[in-house]
Amino acid sequence: MKADMPLSKPIRLLISKTEEILDTEITLRRDPDAESGGTLIDVYTYNLEKNVIIFPAHYIGLLKDFIIAKHCTHLLIKGAAAKESKYLILSFDQDSVSRALRQIYTDTLKDEAKKEKKLPVEKLIQMLFILYQHFHDDLNEVPWNPIVNASVYSRMPKIRKTQLYHVMKESKADMDEMMEQENIIPRRYFVLDKAMFYARDMFLAKTLPADELKPVINIPQMKKFNHLEVKEMLTTRWTHTAWYQSKVFGDNMLEILVRNLDPIDWSKEPDIESCNKIYSTGVNLTNDLISYMSMKDWFTWESPKHLREADKVKGEYEKTALKKIFGDLVTDLLENAK
Amino acid sequence: MSEKESIELLRKGLTYARRTRFREAIIYYKKGITLNPKNPEGWFLMASALIETGNYTEALAYCEKAIELNPHYSDAWSKKGLALYHLERFEESLFACMRATTLNANDATAWYIKGVCLDELGKTEEAQDAYGKSLELEIIIDIEAEKKKVGR
Repeated sequence: MKADMPLSKPIRLLISKTEEILDTEITLRRDPDAESGGTLIDVYTYNLEKNVIIFPAHYIGLLKDFIIAKHCTHLLIKGAAAKESKYLILSFDQDSVSRALRQIYTDTLKDEAKKEKKLPVEKLIQMLFILYQHFHDDLNEVPWNPIVNASVYSRMPKIRKTQLYHVMKESKADMDEMMEQENIIPRRYFVLDKAMFYARDMFLAKTLPADELKPVINIPQMKKFNHLEVKEMLTTRWTHTAWYQSKVFGDNMLEILVRNLDPIDWSKEPDIESCNKIYSTGVNLTNDLISYMSMKDWFTWESPKHLREADKVKGEYEKTALKKIFGDLVTDLLENAK
Repeated sequence: MSEKESIELLRKGLTYARRTRFREAIIYYKKGITLNPKNPEGWFLMASALIETGNYTEALAYCEKAIELNPHYSDAWSKKGLALYHLERFEESLFACMRATTLNANDATAWYIKGVCLDELGKTEEAQDAYGKSLELEIIIDIEAEKKKVGR
């Protein structure tokens, strides 16, 4: 471990345990511009020699400890899978991008037909890949969040209050995502995005446990759905709102989360075998969510290297996929949009 | 004249320190201290930079000098606690942090190090109280930081 900052005893133990199990080194780094949830740059995903956990410079005490605990736990899961040569992440290729963009385009057309104020065609075309990438990023992250949080909660009882603060903050930030684009993006994708976070928060509200984390309490737009009978909900205008639909889809996603994650014994001391099981659960959970969201052929499970390569040529993938939908016309439109 | 010049040099050093260029910062701090050795801030800033570069024993000496010049300098007590923590002198670190939190009850770092030291000394319950206080203050700092980010 390379750290020039004070660390509480349980965190020091967690770091050295992680390093010992994975036979790797972890470096801690402060950065004034770091993401509020911190960042893990690990040797299994990136082509690096050591793992780095980066957190905001103003996290000086327990906030920093929680970020470290969260990323160490995730590192353990990734590392265990890598040791068994089965660490894969969601990636994409030309075919998957083409299929996804066509699907998003079809859904967008359906929505646009009902709208009074239409989206300019250049903007619509640009939105397709942005939306695809958004779901790619979220699906590579969101399913692991409840796994990591449940594990940290069980293994690090001393930082539970800090964890709750972080999770609540994260929940509000995630629910705020896409808000400005609510009227632009197809309803289906707005709802699925919110539903994913709703399900995660509901799962964590039960696991931590913390009622205040329930979206119907924590998220202003959802408060009106608290304490309502199903019958009452079905007979009101709410059934047509995106937030109500997010709740309905979210409740179904919550069932998927519970079905996958409930069998895990979070209190078990981690080792390669148990972390591998957790990794497999994470993969299954991701696949179940993808299926539920009808995005099954949008992504492929590949090595991190594959994703790095795909990222380099994603512009080409986008262009080719758009040409398949719009023909050569799209080249002019894309040029105009620049 | 030398007082003003000294302050200017310390300011320059601080600019480097904020960009994590501690070696350059140390050069300016040293010059600033030479011009006005009676200013405790110079000794304190030097201690901070030395801690960042891992020179804890030297940093401790600078903290002590800052405290000698101003025994109520809470930041210097806090920094002393940090240096002592790194030197694994937990009891002394705890004492320094207690002094720091008495002088400034809003020092989140001092409360946290206090918690860490109490934990190391096996005083788990007391450690939890110190951690709790540190977390409260950290959350306030975090909310302020988020507000600044939004305002940027």
